[in-house]
Amino acid sequence: MSARDRILERVRAVLPSREDAAHPGPFLGWRAGPLASDVPGWFSEMFTKAGGEVVRVGSPGLASAWLADFAAGFGTASVGATLPADLIPQLAIAPPEVAELGVSMGRGAVAETGSLILDARDGRRTQLLPPTHVVLVRVEDVHATLADALDHVSHDLPSAVGLHSGPSKSADIGQITVTGVHGPGRVLALIVG
Amino acid sequence: MSRGRPAGYARAAADTIRNKPQIRSAVTAATKSFDAHRREAWSQIDVDAWRDWCRDVKQHVVTHLDRYLEEAEAKLLANGVRVHWAESAEEALAVLGAVVDEAGIRRVVKAKSMLTEELGVNEYLEGRGVHVRETDLGEYIIQLLGEPPSHIVGPAIHRSLDDSRRLFHEHFGTPMDSSPEALAATARQALREEFLAADLGISGGNFLVAETGTLALIENEGNIRLSTSAPPVHVAFVGIEKLLPRIADLSGFLQITARAATGQPIGNYVSLISGPRRAGEIDGPETVHVVLVDNGRTRLLGEDVAWEALRCVRCGACLNICPVYRQTGGHPYGFTYSGPIGAILAPGLLGLEEAMPLPFASSLCGACADVCPVRIPIPDILLHWRERAVEAGLVPASERLGMRAYAALAERPRAFAAAGAGLRFVPWALGGRALPVLGGWSGERAPPELSPRPFHRLWKEGIE
Ligand code: SF4
Repeated sequence: MSARDRILERVRAVLPSREDAAHPGPFLGWRAGPLASDVPGWFSEMFTKAGGEVVRVGSPGLASAWLADFAAGFGTASVGATLPADLIPQLAIAPPEVAELGVSMGRGAVAETGSLILDARDGRRTQLLPPTHVVLVRVEDVHATLADALDHVSHDLPSAVGLHSGPSKSADIGQITVTGVHGPGRVLALIVG
Repeated sequence: MSRGRPAGYARAAADTIRNKPQIRSAVTAATKSFDAHRREAWSQIDVDAWRDWCRDVKQHVVTHLDRYLEEAEAKLLANGVRVHWAESAEEALAVLGAVVDEAGIRRVVKAKSMLTEELGVNEYLEGRGVHVRETDLGEYIIQLLGEPPSHIVGPAIHRSLDDSRRLFHEHFGTPMDSSPEALAATARQALREEFLAADLGISGGNFLVAETGTLALIENEGNIRLSTSAPPVHVAFVGIEKLLPRIADLSGFLQITARAATGQPIGNYVSLISGPRRAGEIDGPETVHVVLVDNGRTRLLGEDVAWEALRCVRCGACLNICPVYRQTGGHPYGFTYSGPIGAILAPGLLGLEEAMPLPFASSLCGACADVCPVRIPIPDILLHWRERAVEAGLVPASERLGMRAYAALAERPRAFAAAGAGLRFVPWALGGRALPVLGGWSGERAPPELSPRPFHRLWKEGIE
């Protein structure tokens, strides 16, 4: 018998003596979110509280203009594989290991947790290695709850999804919070639409 | 990185309190701050309903564990993950050894994981000449110090800023007055090289979703995302109790775990990993292994009272609020898991005799049960293990006699009052130490201030 079969056999030997517990059904959270009427606003509040920055623009054209302006402060950029061509900043493109700026296309965002949803197909290293990270999200992809967002992504799961909810932080040195430990120390959500 | 054994608890705890007062102050400050954040985060939600829901989902999983293990295995395999099962630490390490041999692994980066501590992964790899580097900043600090973690969420909470300054000065020559930011930047640079040079990343798993074969990992620094993204091979060790039925269930668990642990609405980074790099993806590991580990968990499942401990999500909230844990931190417990959860897991995972005296390392104040997000009845389980220990003759004779004498007195009101009155005149320094049970206790403490009249008299006369 394999380890697998022995483990399952031991589990099955015990379970008849344990009362079956039913699954309680979907997680309801706080039912109506505090700012459910303004989902992008709710996202902004939560993401900012965690140390992230939020920029909201009305159209892809304005996003591209804002990005060009912002990128001017950097020497090199690494960009996500699914970023629309007209949004790629006019910078020297560098591998994520050395790029000063990372620009990713976000799969979406979650208001209640203040999270950006990042898809492996856009490139994991660009999401993690450059010290500053800009993530584009279409306003219609901002979900109110994590349950909504997970339901949405579960229909098309890549090898990895990352939820990023602010800059990298740690309080492991003397309980004092510092940012930018491994991931980006500065992260901006660029909400378009 | 020796961890000692539970049997050394009393001596190690006394030594910490007497000779390392800085540990008590660092641990107390850190846990109080964690707990204050939890309280604030819980005040924002319908916490009782959330806790009920989380308890019920976990109870459902544990009572249908075989079904979800099989479903998860099938999904993982379909996703291209290589699935292994391990009954013991030795078997889990043998799986890792085979991966190391097959892929010619020389350098490993590790994401923080209590299960890999439990299994002894670092010692095993080092013994095989493999370079292994912890990448969570707290884990990195204690790895450089040669210590095990002191807390399941904040492994280095027993160390002060000055301790880290000294450590970094010795290793990197940074100035003794470096800011925390400067120290973190030094670590970032050193570890960045490790991530990019590693041929294997090792992680644990907070949750494993059966429906989709998705592993969920929670962290704040980004080191877990990097450890599971940069190296070409990823091995995840997952306890068999870590399953969740559906991906939708993560919505409750990711939120309550973070709120219970640090008061955040969600961990700063969550990785949802559903397999190796796919065609069309530009990076990520080519091979992902998931090792499903028993190592005593099915034994715990067979325990009629203690089995409820299998719901634990390792948030650390019970450690943070525990007045006993706060005095010493985790090291004296001599077991991977410390504090209240450690005291109830140890007898289940190690066997009661080996776990002694951990079920007694508690004042039974009940605070842990009030904060546990999955409502594990920790004090009931502690009492259960204590009863079992007494039955098995694992409790010192003096303590058993003392308890029996106390029970006899407590049943006779007059004798109880007389004994109580007598106790008021026992000099603390001499008599207190000689008394059974109280002896060990009074040795480490200042005498209590007695009220001018005994409680039973106040009670009779009516307390003003
Ligand atoms: S027993 Fe409860 S409070 Fe303690 S670590 Fe586990 S889940 Fe958290």
